[in-house]
Amino acid sequence: MSNDHSVSNPRKDPEKIVSIDSEYLTGKRFDYQEDISVIDDVDLQESTPGGDINWLEDITMLEEDGTPAVFDRYSNSFLKIYYDVPVGREDEIARKVLIKHLQSGNSYGTVLKERYAKFAQPELGPWVKGSKTVGDNYVPPVLEGWEAPEGH
Amino acid sequence: MDAVVGESQITYDARGLVEVDDTVLGVAVVKDGKATIDASELTTRKINLEIRSLVYEQGIEDVTILNPGGKHSLGVGILTRCKMTFEGSLGYFALGVIDGPEVTVNGRVGWSACENMMAGVVVINGNAGSLTGAAIRGGDLVIKGRVGARTGIDQKGGTIIITGDAGSNTGFMMQRGRQLLLGDVGPHLGDSMYDGIIYVAGKVKSLGADCVPGEMTDEDLEFVTRKMGLYDLGTPPELQKFVCGKKLYNYDNLEPHERKLVL
Repeated sequence: MSNDHSVSNPRKDPEKIVSIDSEYLTGKRFDYQEDISVIDDVDLQESTPGGDINWLEDITMLEEDGTPAVFDRYSNSFLKIYYDVPVGREDEIARKVLIKHLQSGNSYGTVLKERYAKFAQPELGPWVKGSKTVGDNYVPPVLEGWEAPEGH
Repeated sequence: MDAVVGESQITYDARGLVEVDDTVLGVAVVKDGKATIDASELTTRKINLEIRSLVYEQGIEDVTILNPGGKHSLGVGILTRCKMTFEGSLGYFALGVIDGPEVTVNGRVGWSACENMMAGVVVINGNAGSLTGAAIRGGDLVIKGRVGARTGIDQKGGTIIITGDAGSNTGFMMQRGRQLLLGDVGPHLGDSMYDGIIYVAGKVKSLGADCVPGEMTDEDLEFVTRKMGLYDLGTPPELQKFVCGKKLYNYDNLEPHERKLVL
């Protein structure tokens, strides 16, 4: 019997991904990652609750795989920025790119909401006023042939 | 099921003490785009369903809740921009996992208020229990009063402001964000913190493991002045700054991937 399992056994290890990259999750790169002019119209104060930039205080320009990037906490992934970021405006640009990403509904977390949300919530959360409600039609899956135990 | 009159009439699911009936009662009074809910005869779930129906489905952006009666878990999971005012005290786990609301509580709050808060502003005009702002990730949480132990435990972002005294283990295992403590602070401040900044105006009983004094910068002063101005707290007093000594800080060497997950 051969000890070489690589030919006789077609099963492979699952793909192992170390990076947490927005492009990997969504399969797309967006225009605000490549063109700084796309984020000109983003008003950070208007886009956040309270009298200042609120939660964006914690958002800063970081680096992923040697590229400037902002972390999207709603999908636990980095959004890379491919243009030259003006010196002194790093955090501002990072915040504007992230807000654009969230308001556009492109965050992978938003994509997952439509599919998996188990309670009603606005699709675009606090970033866009009046977005549609998702998660209000969730039906828990039922295993065929399963019956609830007596008393439940 | 008619579970609208008093806690004693609720039918619970024995597995999780969840009130099964998720019917929105529609008892809020709406006038000039603002809604008022009298919560005195409503259960926690009915109050929360009413709030969600108003802010998600009916486009109401200003909700006042009268007679909350210290019920637990009120105002949780509101994931949109709106204003909420609670006229009275709240119980445990009030306003948890919120993302966007601007909330005023004219009363006290119990344990774990605003745990896992993502964004928004919460101002409590009264005292708060222990674990206030546990695992908060963003937004401003302002307590105009005293707090118990372990405020901001596991804090991952955001700003917690306490105008009165704070108990033991404040800032325990803090990972990011800022705390502005305007009164005295109990023992073990910032114990095992990984990152973040704690400003203290009063006396500190003792520092926890790896919490060390830091140097105030112009950036710190700008931040404190701005936040105190936003919440009518006057001009900043003389402050001590505390940060992580990074003696226990091993993420960079051992677990870079895990470190990213606390961002």
